[in-house]
Amino acid sequence: MAEVILNQVVKTYGSIYAVNHVSLTVADGEFVALVGPSGCGKTTTLNLIAGLIPMSGGDIYIGDKLVNDLDPKDRDIAMVFQNYALYPNKTVFKNLAFPLQMRKLSKDVIDSKVMAAAKVLDITHLLERKPRELSGGQQQRVALGRALVRDPRAFLMDEPLSNLDAKLRVQMRSELKRFHHELNATVVYVTHDQLEAVTMSDKMAVMDGGYLQQYDTPKNVFDHPRNTFVASFVGSPAMSLFPLEIIGAGTSVSLGSPEGWSFPLNELNSRKANASTGKKVILGARHSTITVHKTAHPGAVPGKVYTVEPTGDVTFAQVFVGDSIVVVSVEPQVMLRLDEPVWLEFDQDRMHLFDGQTQLALNPA
Amino acid sequence: MSSMTHTEQLSVRSRRQIDGWRWTGRIFLAILLIFTVVPIAWMFITSLKTGFAAMQYPPQWWPAAPTLENYTRLLDTRDSVGQDFLRYFFNSMYVSVLTTILAILVAVPAAYAFSRFSFPGRTFLFFAVLMRNMFPAVVFLVPLFILMRVLGLVNTHGSLILTYLTFGLPLAIWLLKGFYDNIPIQLEQAARIDGATRFQAFFFIVMPLSTPGIIATAIYSFIGAWNEYIYAYTFLTRQDQMTLPVGIQRFFSENATDWPGLMAATFMMSVPVVVLFLVLQKYFVRALTEGAVKS
Ligand SMILES: Nc1ncnc2c1ncn2[C@@H]1O[C@H](COP(=O)(O)OP(=O)(O)O)[C@@H](O)[C@H]1O
Ligand SMILES: [Mg+2]
Repeated sequence: MAEVILNQVVKTYGSIYAVNHVSLTVADGEFVALVGPSGCGKTTTLNLIAGLIPMSGGDIYIGDKLVNDLDPKDRDIAMVFQNYALYPNKTVFKNLAFPLQMRKLSKDVIDSKVMAAAKVLDITHLLERKPRELSGGQQQRVALGRALVRDPRAFLMDEPLSNLDAKLRVQMRSELKRFHHELNATVVYVTHDQLEAVTMSDKMAVMDGGYLQQYDTPKNVFDHPRNTFVASFVGSPAMSLFPLEIIGAGTSVSLGSPEGWSFPLNELNSRKANASTGKKVILGARHSTITVHKTAHPGAVPGKVYTVEPTGDVTFAQVFVGDSIVVVSVEPQVMLRLDEPVWLEFDQDRMHLFDGQTQLALNPA
Repeated sequence: MSSMTHTEQLSVRSRRQIDGWRWTGRIFLAILLIFTVVPIAWMFITSLKTGFAAMQYPPQWWPAAPTLENYTRLLDTRDSVGQDFLRYFFNSMYVSVLTTILAILVAVPAAYAFSRFSFPGRTFLFFAVLMRNMFPAVVFLVPLFILMRVLGLVNTHGSLILTYLTFGLPLAIWLLKGFYDNIPIQLEQAARIDGATRFQAFFFIVMPLSTPGIIATAIYSFIGAWNEYIYAYTFLTRQDQMTLPVGIQRFFSENATDWPGLMAATFMMSVPVVVLFLVLQKYFVRALTEGAVKS
């Protein structure tokens, strides 16, 4: 296994930047998730690493080798595709054998390697079947087998679980993690599902509009989102964001709304607010950091319940604060009625402040 | 009826409707069959007659003394008729087979390129290729003749092969492009990652999936070339170069047309096409109905 390094990688289609100056290092043996909404450039990035499409700029290293001009076959990587891309006219056995045949291994070696991979993936009984005679989950395993059958320097996976039903997806998620652990494999894993990224990866690279927005451990991305996009993309339900105005200066700043209410910030948050380029900031708060009061409360802001969603363990509610919707959660025994007035108190130690103009997280001035 | 539920009644009615359509279809097919089979049958029956029996009126539906003499004569290398026929047959075979091979060699890469690569003028070129099919073939007779004369190809089989390619390729490219469009690009990508070159990925993975299309292209090109008359008649004047459709004309003579001989020759001419179709029809049907293999 080897590390994979992207340095200022660019891919343009005409005037569109599908991948815009992306730099990231995937350490040897690391599981990195490339995550972002549809069309953000994940597949393109993966295809660039694989060498399937030419780069418009930048460098890619696999191991310590610059691979910019290498054909896919010479990069020694394996890839699992979203639609599995099994060879439809070959049996499962021949699908698995193909990468080995292309590398001109002897028939005996091919046989034993295919059997070994098939055994690991529990598909030995399917070897004589054609792909169309397999279920989605079985096809997925064969696709995985074709990647595992040789020992590549890195695995690239493009939404490998997105065509499976929900239950199988969760099961395969754990199995993939297990494989990664056992093979100590370098994996670049593309997904649009932030939950998959958070649960599976050592590090996640959040992309949007061709840009790498943040590259860090899931915990750091969750706790310290670099900008409003990452803040709202990672975590479910999404972090609530709403724009407020800075009132005052120094170490005792308040945030005020157009409706007229305001609440004071603590010292750290005041210093953050001072770093803002303008008077506008965006407050970000996850549901778990908001306390819901049924009566007016000092430092809490007024709102009105819009929807209530009991899930059993916890009840979520959407609350209108001014024009913005804030998602909160309460214990299941707390009854919230629609249109009921409530007061929301934000946990100052766990709330996020973003610059109203740049959308970047504010650091204390 | 009274014991039947509503849904059962419905299903009986719809089944009757389906049966009705099925019968309409069968009758239609039967009429079509008569149209195609009767002339062939008559051709065959006539080819078994003597010249005298063929001219009788009322016609003999089945010859009183069927004979294979017409066929043995056509295949007899010592007989001048047989020599001519076999020469025409060989010429036709030569032109048609070469046309077919060249059509595949050109159409496969062309269709693949149109399907997979974006290059300047791609849309225009593809349209230009298809535009040939908007005009009837005879329109090109004089221009192509002049062109062939300039190229010094008049009175060569090359002129016919080139002409048949221009007529066959547009449809072949269009048909095959449909196949390649439907083969997911990820299959090639997977193959290239698995260690194949671009060409190997095409050759080992993509091309086998387009086999029905390639075979359909082959049949189409072969039959087109095998049956063509006008160009073969215009471009070739030397008797030893003639192809079957033109050569068979020589059975018509000013005094008395040898009808049984003509029919035997025509029947022999249709044999390769029929055999080709019977052997490969399952691919042909697949090509026209499926378009491509779904992944
Ligand atoms: N072959 C192509 N030609 C033109 N634009 C493309 C092509 N491939 C991808 N794009 C564009 O690049 C952007 C990123 O695409 P992609 O990497 O497939 O996104 P993702 O995998 O994150 O959904 C999209 O805006 C897409 O429209
Ligand atoms: Mg994608």
